[in-house]
Amino acid sequence: MSGVEDLTILCFLGITKESIVDVEAMVRKVEQKIESCSQQDVELHIERIFVISQAEPRLPLQLEDAVRPDGEGEEEGRATVNQDTRLDNRVIDLRTTTSQAIFRLQSGVCQLFRDTLTKKGFVEIQTPKIISAASEGGANVFTVSYFKSSAYLAQSPQLYKQMCICADFDKVFCVGPVFRAEDSNTHRHLTEFVGLDIEMAFNYHYHEVIDSITDTMVQIFKGLRDNFQTEIQTVNKQFPSEPFKFLEPTLRLEYTEAVAMLHEAGVEMGDEDDLSTPNEKLLGRLVKEKYDTDFYVLDKYPLAVRPFYTMPDPSNPKYSNSYDMFMRGEEILSGAQRVHDAQLLSERAQHHQIDLEKIKSYIDSFRFGAPPHGGGGIGLERVCMLYLGLHNVRQTSMFPRDPKRLTP
Amino acid sequence: MEGRFSFAKLKYVFPPFQNGDVDPAVKALEARQDEILRKLYELKAAVEGLAKTVTTPDADLDVTVSSSLSSQSSSCAIFKGTTNLDALLGEDLGALRDIVINANPAQPPLTLLVLHGLLCQRYRVLSTVHVHSSVSSVPPQLLSCLGPKHADSYARHMFQLGFTLIWKDVPKLEMKFSVCNMCPIEGEANVARFLFKLLAPYPSDPALATLVDSWVDTGFYQLADGSTKERAAVLRALNSALGRGPWLSGPEFSLADIACYCCLLQNGSASSIAANVQGWMKSCENLGHFGPAKLLLK
Repeated sequence: MSGVEDLTILCFLGITKESIVDVEAMVRKVEQKIESCSQQDVELHIERIFVISQAEPRLPLQLEDAVRPDGEGEEEGRATVNQDTRLDNRVIDLRTTTSQAIFRLQSGVCQLFRDTLTKKGFVEIQTPKIISAASEGGANVFTVSYFKSSAYLAQSPQLYKQMCICADFDKVFCVGPVFRAEDSNTHRHLTEFVGLDIEMAFNYHYHEVIDSITDTMVQIFKGLRDNFQTEIQTVNKQFPSEPFKFLEPTLRLEYTEAVAMLHEAGVEMGDEDDLSTPNEKLLGRLVKEKYDTDFYVLDKYPLAVRPFYTMPDPSNPKYSNSYDMFMRGEEILSGAQRVHDAQLLSERAQHHQIDLEKIKSYIDSFRFGAPPHGGGGIGLERVCMLYLGLHNVRQTSMFPRDPKRLTP
Repeated sequence: MEGRFSFAKLKYVFPPFQNGDVDPAVKALEARQDEILRKLYELKAAVEGLAKTVTTPDADLDVTVSSSLSSQSSSCAIFKGTTNLDALLGEDLGALRDIVINANPAQPPLTLLVLHGLLCQRYRVLSTVHVHSSVSSVPPQLLSCLGPKHADSYARHMFQLGFTLIWKDVPKLEMKFSVCNMCPIEGEANVARFLFKLLAPYPSDPALATLVDSWVDTGFYQLADGSTKERAAVLRALNSALGRGPWLSGPEFSLADIACYCCLLQNGSASSIAANVQGWMKSCENLGHFGPAKLLLK
């Protein structure tokens, strides 16, 4: 339906907003474009109208309010809708043009991820989510009751991806839910999100893994830039942001370069310190200023700040063959070459004071021939949020889960 | 893993063994062969050098001669004088010093490509080419204009300098180095001056230095960008200057020659080039540094 005048007529007839109707109408061309509609070149001259599903008269939120950019119309007393109201009434909120655009774009990201990796010879796998032991150690796992005992919800498909490599699958990826019981109430954390994970064996150097991952990301960015401009512009109307920029091939900096850049900018940190979130953001701005890219890889992290299964750098014991990737200054991927030798793995675990009994089946996977391999994983919601320049990951999660939200 | 391989091929992976050690006679033979080959190459280079003496001034500086004698001549004497990277680029913070150049693929910076080649002879340079998302695609020769990927490029910290060329939709070429301490440098002429100073200082004589600068500006603003009338005037000026000496700023090859040669190359050589200019162009080519620029124009 178009225009305020027509809605008034329908309301007069007793048909409420958001009702589903069938119409028999004459479709007529118009000379002047109808700006307020998505189909701008034709008009419907209704002869008969049937109400298929009548909406309740009082909607919990108005679509025009839900699509209004922050700050616009404030003087005239027109409201915007706050996030909790949206999330409580998600079905209606998802009808807005902005939401439709966001999730169509998200569907595009998944599609491009699958297509690019399949073309590169990767095999898609499905991994179990109910597991017997916390894979990464640490307390951030959800416990579920499992018949007479308990089990956990998987924090990541890490263990199973690696087992597939040891099972001669060479290159695998999986798309599935990831559960993190972290009591973080931030703009970028969810307790359940969609993980896009990659793992592959390499022939000469773990940079083959980095190159595969970054090329996949670049193909996703290009696919979005070239085929989803309408969606990007629609989201920008309500949430303006700078277009996403990137380089091909992807920029790869070493950790020492990042520390040098931060030192130059006046930050005090040690060579082997991890990057704090504010430092990551500052680094992102410095990299953007110098290279004009919103996406880059930081390679050769200090060994001390990485998980026990990270392969140390053979030429320098202070560092590791591990990397993080950033979009708009925020981390989207933490990856590495993995230790594929059972003996070395046990030593590294002991060094991190991890009980070897708890990870026995993990270590056992590498005892019968394991190729050198590496990988990493990204969060679908976070990648979409950062690509579009949005500020809260709940905007890119259809039915978000966080420490305070379990519905809808 | 599927595959067949013959043991005949394997045999050549391992050196011939006798009593658990390499046969000394074979070793001696290989050493003699290497020595003979080396002498042959030296002889070939010397003869080529002699041949060029006839046509080129400064043939002793001919890089094609010196480079065949030593694989990486750090004493590449094409430019005299020493440079101090720390003084020019700031304190060494223990990480790769990466120079970023944003160039428009519609106007490839030939002078900078030539300077890049010279920098690679003086320093260990990590060269990378990127395409920015503001450009949908570039022709393949622009992707390979800095030469093949260095074998050690997986270890950035092993290099003294980074040269990162980004093909981007920019109105004017720009260079960025230290975003905290340096503002960007704009324009190919100015970036060329900066890069040149990493190779050699400008002449100490201020008059000579000004002459070099003047020719650099003439090259970029009148030869490359000027009207047909301006270009013709510059060509006449080049001809008379080259009548007084082998190179534009006198006895020595300088940035002036690099810039003017590239700018001349860029807009296609005019049908009639005066004798002195032709001779000078041949001398430039003999020095062997302009390969990267000419490759791009093919």
